[in-house]
Amino acid sequence: MQNSKLQFKIQNYFIGVLIAFLLLTFTRPVFAAELFFEAKNREFTQGEEFLVSIFLNSLEESINAAEGRVLFPENLLEMKEIRDGNSIITFWIERPKIEQLGIIGFSGIIPGGYQETKGFLLSVVFRAKASGNGAIEIRDAKVLLNDGEGTSTDVKISNFQFSIFKEAPISQTPILEIKDTDPPEYFKPEIAQSPEIFDGKYFLVFATQDKGSGIDHYEVCEGSKKKCVIAESPYLLQNQKLDQQIFVKAVDKSGNERVIMLPPQKPLPWYKNYAILAILIIIGLFVAGVILRKILWQRFIKSR
Amino acid sequence: MKNSKIYFLLILVIFGGLTLSLCYIQALEGTVNISAKVEGCGNGIIEGGEQCDADGSNGPCPATCSTSCTTNSCGGGGGGGGGTYIPPLVVTQVIFSGRAYPKSTVTLLKDAQIAATTIAGSDANFSITLSGLSGGNYIFSVYSEDNKGIRSSLLTFPVSVTSGATTKVSGIFISPTIAVDKSEVKRGDNIAIFGQSAPQADIVVSVNSEEEFFDKTISDKEGIYLYNFDTTVLDYGSHNTKSKASIGNQLISSWSYLVSFKVGTKTVVVEPTKAPAKGDMNNDNRVNLVDFSITAYWYKRSSPPATVDLNSDGKIDLVDFSIMAYYWTG
Repeated sequence: MQNSKLQFKIQNYFIGVLIAFLLLTFTRPVFAAELFFEAKNREFTQGEEFLVSIFLNSLEESINAAEGRVLFPENLLEMKEIRDGNSIITFWIERPKIEQLGIIGFSGIIPGGYQETKGFLLSVVFRAKASGNGAIEIRDAKVLLNDGEGTSTDVKISNFQFSIFKEAPISQTPILEIKDTDPPEYFKPEIAQSPEIFDGKYFLVFATQDKGSGIDHYEVCEGSKKKCVIAESPYLLQNQKLDQQIFVKAVDKSGNERVIMLPPQKPLPWYKNYAILAILIIIGLFVAGVILRKILWQRFIKSR
Repeated sequence: MKNSKIYFLLILVIFGGLTLSLCYIQALEGTVNISAKVEGCGNGIIEGGEQCDADGSNGPCPATCSTSCTTNSCGGGGGGGGGTYIPPLVVTQVIFSGRAYPKSTVTLLKDAQIAATTIAGSDANFSITLSGLSGGNYIFSVYSEDNKGIRSSLLTFPVSVTSGATTKVSGIFISPTIAVDKSEVKRGDNIAIFGQSAPQADIVVSVNSEEEFFDKTISDKEGIYLYNFDTTVLDYGSHNTKSKASIGNQLISSWSYLVSFKVGTKTVVVEPTKAPAKGDMNNDNRVNLVDFSITAYWYKRSSPPATVDLNSDGKIDLVDFSIMAYYWTG
């Protein structure tokens, strides 16, 4: 009796182990998206600069939002530059930037969704500081489906392993310099008002892309192009009367600019417009001068 | 002579008064700057209503920007006799063509902002040419509005544009619009699922419950389709429906937006609405950069307004932006 019980238990264990083995061997987790790195090399010399790009593979499902943190060993690497020109991210919620030592954060959306194998997100230029082995990782990655509910999907992450040598490695790949002479894309800033922000005051919204080096910053100039401030959208307008023109300047990382002018939304009535008044005064003075000259001329004729 | 003196004094009084009033207004306003510079086409700045502005280089072809600050469409000219060689104009453009609905408005978005609109023909065909682009990767999207003003879902496609070349994107087939005539239907009654697509298209209607039901109908010559679904097979509760269209098994659209309805014990009739289901913060019937900016303002801030918190979880995070991105109209 005990023998038969033992045999039954062994059979159960055997079946369990067999099922687990089959599951582990023949089933793989299904990921709707993958975040992966790409670089021309994985071995670098101390002092060498190299470019690492991050891509999104979302062929299985259409995705419309992504965020994450890129972690790099700051004892081995120094971050020189972040490039996001030509990114599939249309609007950055948080433009890629250093959050703290060794951590780059990013967050953005793609309205309408994206479903391709290799969508460029951003790239980072590093300088190899010291010799050793390390990895650039993505943590806290979140990729959301374009389903109207913001459903989170499983993300496969392939980290980037690298080695830095003191001596020169077999091959060194120069970093591709971006020759960007094109200004940022044409855009249409908009003045809006909402009870939800800035206590219902007028604000300005703007966004554009730069297909070369990427957007560096925006400037807003109210009234005159000489009175500009570095600004982010949404920007609370200082001139709430909206009676002056506004210039919005998008500047890319190569220094190219695109300036868009918004005419005054509520222009001054003519009698408050100094330009018109100045013209009227000049015309008036001219007419008065002509009449005065005529009178003086007539007096001169009479006196003779 | 006397008259001349009177006129002269009158003019002096008028302009003296004007000058005094000017000083008075200036004292009152105190903040307005005098600017005599007249802005406009030809000043090198792209202003409202201008497509381009190349400063003094504006002009007819081969200049890329016309004197009225619109992008020149300089086609290839015919051959001619001898003379000065004019190099062919390098134009970077993308031509989009496909099918929407008969006489419907088709909107093209470039990187999620409206770049062009056109009206489809009575056969539902449309074509849009977009020029003045730089070489690079763009995400273009198209959608259409049916005869009731209901919008289709966005059809998005990434395009790599080569500088100086014409890129053609053809075979676009915009998904059907969809609406239902009841927000709640008494179990066993019919619910009408309707919308618009291309004329004589095969429409697949899906009703999603625990079990998904599919059925087919055909749109009429105006592209309008109507499908009466018998709710006997559905359980009580919330359900979704969506549709897609195909023509001759060659052109197949993507799925329409999901429309939800409830199966219950009573019937509630509803009129189709033009307003996006979610994401329109400033109630202008659009989901665009203004709404994104309002949401961005509240990102990671405490106590966001209920209208901004799209999933009602008490915080603004990536999920709210994702919901907004789905209902985007540009």
